[in-house]
Amino acid sequence: MAFNYDQYLRVDKMPTLWCWGCGDGVILKSVIRAIDKMGWDMDKVCVVSGIGCSGRFSSYINCNTVHTTHGRTIAYATGIKLTRPDAHVIVVAGDGDGLAIGGNHTIHGCRRNIDLNFILINNFIYGLTNSQISPTTPQGMWCVSAQNGNIDPTFDACKLAIGAGASFVARETMLDPKKLEKILVKGFSHRGFSFFDIMSNCHINLGRKNKMLSAMENLAWIDSITTPLKKWEALPVEEQMNKFPTGVLREVEQAEYCDMYEMVIASAQGKRGKITQDDFAKKI
Amino acid sequence: MFKTTNPGNVPVWVNTDNCKACDICVSVCPSGVLGMRYEPTSTLGAMISINHPESCIGCNECELTCPDFAIYVADKADYKFAKLTDEAKARQAAIIANKYMSLDQAGVK
Amino acid sequence: MAREVISTGNELSALGAFDAGCMFFGGYPITPSSEVMHEMSDLLPTVGGKFIQMEDEIAGISVALGASMAGTKSMTATSGPGISLKAEQIGLAFIAEVPLVIVNVMRGGPSTGLPTRVSQADIGQAQYPTHGDYASITLCAGSLEECYTQTVRGFNLAERYMTPVFVLLDETVGHMHGKAVLPDLEEVKAKNVTRKRFDGKPEDYRPYDVPMNTPAVLNPMFEGYRFHFTGLHHGPTGFPTEDAAQCQFNIERLVGKIDAVAADVGLDDEADYEEFMMEDAEVCLIAYGSISRGAKEAVSKLRADGIKAGLFRPIMIWPSPAKKLKEIGQKFDKIFVTELNMGQYLKEIERVTGRSNFTTLHKANGRPIAPLEMVAKVKEMF
Repeated sequence: MAFNYDQYLRVDKMPTLWCWGCGDGVILKSVIRAIDKMGWDMDKVCVVSGIGCSGRFSSYINCNTVHTTHGRTIAYATGIKLTRPDAHVIVVAGDGDGLAIGGNHTIHGCRRNIDLNFILINNFIYGLTNSQISPTTPQGMWCVSAQNGNIDPTFDACKLAIGAGASFVARETMLDPKKLEKILVKGFSHRGFSFFDIMSNCHINLGRKNKMLSAMENLAWIDSITTPLKKWEALPVEEQMNKFPTGVLREVEQAEYCDMYEMVIASAQGKRGKITQDDFAKKI
Repeated sequence: MFKTTNPGNVPVWVNTDNCKACDICVSVCPSGVLGMRYEPTSTLGAMISINHPESCIGCNECELTCPDFAIYVADKADYKFAKLTDEAKARQAAIIANKYMSLDQAGVK
Repeated sequence: MAREVISTGNELSALGAFDAGCMFFGGYPITPSSEVMHEMSDLLPTVGGKFIQMEDEIAGISVALGASMAGTKSMTATSGPGISLKAEQIGLAFIAEVPLVIVNVMRGGPSTGLPTRVSQADIGQAQYPTHGDYASITLCAGSLEECYTQTVRGFNLAERYMTPVFVLLDETVGHMHGKAVLPDLEEVKAKNVTRKRFDGKPEDYRPYDVPMNTPAVLNPMFEGYRFHFTGLHHGPTGFPTEDAAQCQFNIERLVGKIDAVAADVGLDDEADYEEFMMEDAEVCLIAYGSISRGAKEAVSKLRADGIKAGLFRPIMIWPSPAKKLKEIGQKFDKIFVTELNMGQYLKEIERVTGRSNFTTLHKANGRPIAPLEMVAKVKEMF
């Protein structure tokens, strides 16, 4: 016996629609293995995805699944989680989905610290629509919407999530699925908003314009721009800006939104007084 | 459909219905077990082949990095895997140099 | 026992939602609908319901749709600009058949328009709020009582037909403050509709495998009936398909489950319109929403002046009470149509009656229409 993926997959939907060598499939597999480690009942799991290649994620995994509109994943997932705080909600979005059109929902999901597991599949490109620049496409790369080269500055998704208040923030690549699985388990176990920036390849649409025609070449590039957090911290500042640290970048205990909402209910039902600033350690 | 059950006493096996011939599994194998072979019916003109099962060390890398649920590795409890040898390492280097094609396959795809 | 309350239209709409069993509200502040949200934030937690103010209008409806997908009666409230922003999610609600009540307290437009002033210019938007083909259910409240009863009705229609339902208030009705007599709470609760569910074996569950002109059967999440919600065209189990016959069937069913049922037997047994002094009338006034209140006054004044006037007031705006409107078009020679827009519903009246010789009074300046203005206009017909 090998690991039995069948019970977690909608096997009749296989093979996936993703291109050969697409990291989305590896991440799907890691998520499945992490769910298995967590021992979650798939009837109590909900996977919400948006639009883009990552949008297909929800149709392959055998649980309660929602394929929403472009960028709005976190808002839909918040409604599901708030209604059923006992459910495990995983949100999957791409870099365009989660950082561009859905950027507003991403930061506010982090801010509320609602117990969602947000998996940002970061492949540095709009893949499904054929290679347009995304908020993470490096400057100087070539895309069909930047035929002379991209001048748009990028941002660091994890720094954004930390700044917005997510209580668990981690970055990993799909190069090492064992590490990825470990970090997913860690984040899934965390109560609060878990933000995963998972770097993945798109040799088809990023690679074809940027001399990375195979998955391996694209992955080698990802390997060259990432380094484990400990090593990253030891780097001189001028080198730090050209590497993304991987690993758990933030993990703190912070009041979770559904838990806090219980205070609202208790207050409305006269079981406690009104909520005041004294209920919170942080006053401003 | 899914072939999670070991088809015989083998260390690694493939579901060719799902394989898209992306070469990733070949690239991550440390001991030259895998290689691509020409297969005109496959979209990319190639298909995975298991050439040296006797060298498989059971590291599971190929299974974990396969995006398409196409390759499986036996459980450590069910199968006695080999130890990594220098010969296997050299073969792996040659396969990579041969652009992931099995060494008995002439040219590159 | 009927309940006498003193309240506002917006607050009564919230109370209607609460009494209809709404357990989730997601929204974003916007004039003139915010009071619906304020009231919900107060009411919902008293029964363990969930309220959340989101980061924008789009998130406001998305979160409410998420809650509805999970199996809860859910609601959002906004005004015209908010509907414009929510449009794409409304489309998802149509195609994925997610019930939701959307209260729209109408203000002047387009764009930011006249935020604090009254308008009825979202009638057309309510019919086709988003791209694609579908049929919309739209109710329009003309009084404080109706802010309550039509919101309750909105929930019952949404859950029965598995579709978003618009409840239109306008700024005047929404902010009107006064006494209202509400129906007995137990009677309201007894009539509350809960969405249909499938109780067979999970492996036999095919949520969208339903006959023509019938709504999908969507079970709540997390109860063992796994399926897939998507905004893509989908087959019987909710998974994306591009099969031509299936896509055609999907759209015909989406339109038919509302339009064909409404034309055939009516969507429910509540009144789709009100007739005021119509029995012996010689001239028919047509008005809805807050404007119908002035029109009623105009009818009394006209009658005092010896003109036998009557008022026809549509309550279910979409699908329109077409049969009745056609009848009126045939019965009356003199018809007067007045709205707070440039003639959005007039077009529908022209379409169903097949005539275009109406006397009209349309305004889009953010002010209500005074009864005497209507009286003067009606008298021009004689």
